[in-house]
Amino acid sequence: MGGSKILIVDDELIVRESLAGWLERDGHQLKTASSGEEALAMIEESRFDIILLDIKMGGMSGLDVLKAVKENDPDIAVIMITAYGSVNTAVEAMKHGATDYLMKPFDPDELGILIERIEKQQLQALENQYLRQEVRERTRFESMIGQSKAMQKVFELIRDVAPTDSTVLIRGETGTGKGLAAKAVHTLSRRCAGPFVSINCGAFPEQLLESELFGYQKGAFTDAKETKKGRFELAHGGTLFLDEIGEISMRMQIDLLRILEDHVFYRLGSTQPLEVDFRVIAATNRNLEQAIRERSFREDLYYRLNVFTFEMPPLRERKEDIPLLAAHFLHRFAQETNKPVERISRDALDEMMLYEWPGNIRELENAVERAVVVAKGPTILPEHLPIFSPDQMTLEPADQSLKELEKAHIVKILEQHQWNISKCAETLGIDRSTLYSKMKRYGIRKKD
Amino acid sequence: MKPGKASSIIVLTSISDGQESYLESVGLEISRLFGYPTVAMPLLDSIDFAYNTQRDQYHSTAILTRLAELAPPDALKILAVTDRDLYIPILTHVYGEAQLGGRACIVSTHRLNEGISAGGDPERLRCRLMKEAVHELGHTFNLKHCPETRCIMHYCRKIEHVDRKSQAFCRYCRVLLQDELDRMAEETP
Repeated sequence: MGGSKILIVDDELIVRESLAGWLERDGHQLKTASSGEEALAMIEESRFDIILLDIKMGGMSGLDVLKAVKENDPDIAVIMITAYGSVNTAVEAMKHGATDYLMKPFDPDELGILIERIEKQQLQALENQYLRQEVRERTRFESMIGQSKAMQKVFELIRDVAPTDSTVLIRGETGTGKGLAAKAVHTLSRRCAGPFVSINCGAFPEQLLESELFGYQKGAFTDAKETKKGRFELAHGGTLFLDEIGEISMRMQIDLLRILEDHVFYRLGSTQPLEVDFRVIAATNRNLEQAIRERSFREDLYYRLNVFTFEMPPLRERKEDIPLLAAHFLHRFAQETNKPVERISRDALDEMMLYEWPGNIRELENAVERAVVVAKGPTILPEHLPIFSPDQMTLEPADQSLKELEKAHIVKILEQHQWNISKCAETLGIDRSTLYSKMKRYGIRKKD
Repeated sequence: MKPGKASSIIVLTSISDGQESYLESVGLEISRLFGYPTVAMPLLDSIDFAYNTQRDQYHSTAILTRLAELAPPDALKILAVTDRDLYIPILTHVYGEAQLGGRACIVSTHRLNEGISAGGDPERLRCRLMKEAVHELGHTFNLKHCPETRCIMHYCRKIEHVDRKSQAFCRYCRVLLQDELDRMAEETP
């Protein structure tokens, strides 16, 4: 499989180097740490899928590192590396959530099989998460809302590009509504009677993305019991929206480029060429120019996609739209939950206008949804908003900087979710790595 | 394959007795697949410096470092062939090792004999060696392991999988190799 983010923690340089060199050839992204303390600092900075952790190290022990890792993020798989004689500690580590252990020196096959097994389990979990999210999104279609100058400009660009058949690249932070913009381009285009097929490329590991996009022939692989059409085929005559295009693998980039050029593809396990006609709209929150310099994104594909491009503004740059958006979400959630919540108080709206909204519209939507649920009467008050903790409510917002408010809000949400990073990131509408970097920036740590 | 740097060569070297006979056929295959001329030359008299008495094996990373130092300036890549058992410290053994995107790689015939009877099957061994040599050299051109089981860059857990894979790059690896060759050509003054 390959492509996992792996952290190797060992106090011996030679072990770190040889293991990293070995695993790099499988296409994994490797980082190394020489101590438990360094490892924990790195884990706060970025997210890893797998940690290879030596049990015996100077300073913090492997077991202590394991406990700290699991407390922060139980989803990370930890493989303990043990020397002959410390197997009992490895077994102890399994009780604390380690996935498995390897006794060094280990057989290369044993390591490979173990990593593949973990990747398969993580893939399964991802699939389930994606399916849940897809169901949720299907029930929450919105049209685009915004009176701000920034959004008016976006609408103008959409109106300009929609009737052409050009490929469109939409940029913007997470939660800014790139998917809605893509849908708007499709709706205003000549292809509007055709299908609008979207796929979040970042939500699938390579193999799964391949079968989602290409489809497969019955018998192509063990689980292929029936022939399945892929998104390329389903988008025929319409628009294919490739969200998070910056996350696709180099191999998939090669395939995508070829299909964009030839409009011909094959289902997995089939030799029959299928001709397709669709318009491509891609979106990303990544800096693709930087990715080209880092050689993680193909320049030829970039030029193929970057025919017409526009950027979705972050919510903090179009705050005048907040009242409109908030009112829209309020009415929708009040209807959905059948609660007689009718308005947002002036104070609550002021608080919303002061907040930075790092998770953009998605975070605002979540905040209003929660407020509707907790509101007792017809009006949403500041205390119903999750962005302010009760102790801050005694202060006038003017007494605090936006950064202080953001910090306090993060702490509050962390406490609400017993410091479960995944749940907290979901509530805030940001990804986990963003949350980790904010926690680091504000010096937020769990108290013992 | 269109080479990136016309004046460069790929050096092939045998670092234990009896391996020279393989170099010619390996060289032809490498020229065909990578587009560079190959030259066979001795580079190391002994690899005792990499020997680990406790393990009775040779540390391949140390050999690669030495090879990269000793290679002539026009050697774009170096491929060494040995019959010694190789290891890296964390693993029990390796069939070969390469500097990913670097200059040197090595492949050992020590464990490639598996499944071949005492009477021997030199052609089968040659075929396995050829595949693993191209595989390791592919790593020095920045190619990573490929999930296509027929592709030469596929990592084989079992020796019969080496027999099963083809002697060619899959279409993805071909594109990625050409990208790397083009990049190298661009960097050449």
